[in-house]
Amino acid sequence: MNEIIAIIIAVVLCWLNFVLIDTWMGLPEAPGVKGAEVIGRAVKKRGGDLAGGLFQGNIVCSPDASAGTLLASAACYTIGTPEGGLVAAVLVYAGNRLCADPGYAGTTGALTITCIIYAASYIGIGPAEFIVGMVLAIVTIQGIDHPLASKLLGKIADKLGRHTKLT
Amino acid sequence: MFIHAFPTIIIISYILAVVAAMVVGLVLRIPILPERPMRYSWTISIIFPTSILALGFTAMLFKLGYTGIPVAIIVGILTAVFAKYFLERLLPRPQVEEYA
Repeated sequence: MNEIIAIIIAVVLCWLNFVLIDTWMGLPEAPGVKGAEVIGRAVKKRGGDLAGGLFQGNIVCSPDASAGTLLASAACYTIGTPEGGLVAAVLVYAGNRLCADPGYAGTTGALTITCIIYAASYIGIGPAEFIVGMVLAIVTIQGIDHPLASKLLGKIADKLGRHTKLT
Repeated sequence: MFIHAFPTIIIISYILAVVAAMVVGLVLRIPILPERPMRYSWTISIIFPTSILALGFTAMLFKLGYTGIPVAIIVGILTAVFAKYFLERLLPRPQVEEYA
């Protein structure tokens, strides 16, 4: 498969994987640590959505599905599929616990992306494309426009019934 | 890069590692599931993280060259013991106030 097309598909799969799992696991509902709340409120102050801001803050403060997706992709590239993803899930879980996070989002993200990488390899998309894809996917959330991204994340949280009750 | 030849013995080994961890976890009276809402629960249960740890530790040993069904079963047993007695000490839940 053409490398550019493979990367575009990987971006979409990585984006959906980590955004849906992180939202489902309640990242927009509440800050896991105080730093996440500071980021969430700062994003809201700049015109963003609080739930989306909390999502962005939680991603920064602990390894959630975004980190799980990236680490599993890198581990699958390094030591193979699915062993890399399984090892990554353990490492992400340890990182989560160290960052005051129960660890559900990170490990789930690592395991689901391992399944996705395994399935995608049948159509010629390998772990390397997923590493690039995840970096680009996280740039859309954290690297372009925080208020705009937070509004989108807030809408997704609202649809999934995970919007924050904080004001 | 693309490895599709997945030996049946490897799949059986992973399954047995999880089953061994579950059985020993039940014997050691580890809860089967965390309390609800699960996404905020810090309780160590059989499904999460014991099974996940069993899979990960088995994968680590397999990649280090220690393969086979006995290895998988031993890893499963040791993971359940580790989850019951050592995990909370090694990676304790935070002592500060929790938001959720």
